[in-house]
Amino acid sequence: MTGDAMKAQEAFQATVREAALQAGRGEPPQDRLWFFRDARGRCLQLGEEGIQAEAATLEECEVSAHAAKQIAQLDAEHLAIWISAAPDPQRSALAAYYLDEFTPREMMALLEVKCGELSDLICSGRRQFQSWLDATTPHYDDE
Amino acid sequence: MSIFHMSRREKALARIAPITEKSATDRRTRIAVLRAKRSKTMATAFAHQQTFDKAVVAIVQTIPVSTEVAEWFRNEKLIPKSKRRWRKVARNPAVISVALATAVIIGVMTLNVMERLTDFPGSAMARKMLTLAASTRGTELDRVETQAGALADLFFMKYRLEHYDVPQEFADIKTAGARVFDDDEGRRVAQISVPEKRMQFFLFPVDRNPKDGKPREFSGWRYLEHEGWAGVVKVQSGVCFMAAMKGEEKDLAPYVAQAK
Repeated sequence: MTGDAMKAQEAFQATVREAALQAGRGEPPQDRLWFFRDARGRCLQLGEEGIQAEAATLEECEVSAHAAKQIAQLDAEHLAIWISAAPDPQRSALAAYYLDEFTPREMMALLEVKCGELSDLICSGRRQFQSWLDATTPHYDDE
Repeated sequence: MSIFHMSRREKALARIAPITEKSATDRRTRIAVLRAKRSKTMATAFAHQQTFDKAVVAIVQTIPVSTEVAEWFRNEKLIPKSKRRWRKVARNPAVISVALATAVIIGVMTLNVMERLTDFPGSAMARKMLTLAASTRGTELDRVETQAGALADLFFMKYRLEHYDVPQEFADIKTAGARVFDDDEGRRVAQISVPEKRMQFFLFPVDRNPKDGKPREFSGWRYLEHEGWAGVVKVQSGVCFMAAMKGEEKDLAPYVAQAK
């Protein structure tokens, strides 16, 4: 969400502290989605304070069969930077989706979007990421 | 249309299907995934999508969780256990079936109890007579134009029926016809047709206690309704009298109240 591990940690620790405070008052968070909703808000706030990515239309291309090999060449930092540069709500949608913690219904509730909208955000993100992969880590067939 | 034909919503759901299987995944999403896997047009793209997503998740899982956050979650009960929502429980087909069956049983029991509450000795026979009244035509009865109260003599003289008297509340009403017949249990029934509000009167022997053979009598007037007809019944000298008319209890009430 932030593209910066320290910032993200700061945001999530603040969320956990807030949850602990609420629990101490006898009003613990209603469900686990509260944590991600709160952390998302804090991350977006932190993101607004830093350097903003330029709004640009990224190229898209079909997800390829050899995408896994291309992705395997990346490390977590590359991925985090790419996702954090996406405009919101696509950024939040990709972050929530690739955490692999939520069902589609939970993601729709978390991001307050409809099914079609969420699908478009994720699908478009996937295609843009594939295009970026092709540009940065091109795959060449062994043959 | 193929059973694996995918709607637009299913395609959308397949594109955001959980990367690893989750027990909480809803039925629609599971169906969408199944159809995407078997769809001729989408199967390849879906397989690529799954490989792509799994590769990304593999990288995400290498991101370390800070020790402080991990400690918080280990030591504090911060996340409440998810409770089963009543809506989810209510939508379960098994629960719906049980609820429907229970509702039907309760309905039948209530109906039985309501019927029992209005039951009185002779009520079963009275209901049969209400059914008969609904299907009787004027031409089936012998023409007798007199006051209802005077028919007791006719029943005694012609049919040897004792105490087949019309109560005083209905005794002055003019009659149009009358007949006497045996019901399916061999009991002698007198039927009188009355032009006023197309009423019918019935006289029949009261039920007897099977143990001692004594008539099972009751005091006052009792109402009953059956198949759109209403009846008001009284027992006197071992004979039930019933005035019947198409309508409700309130239509008969003035006749009974008049005598009081």
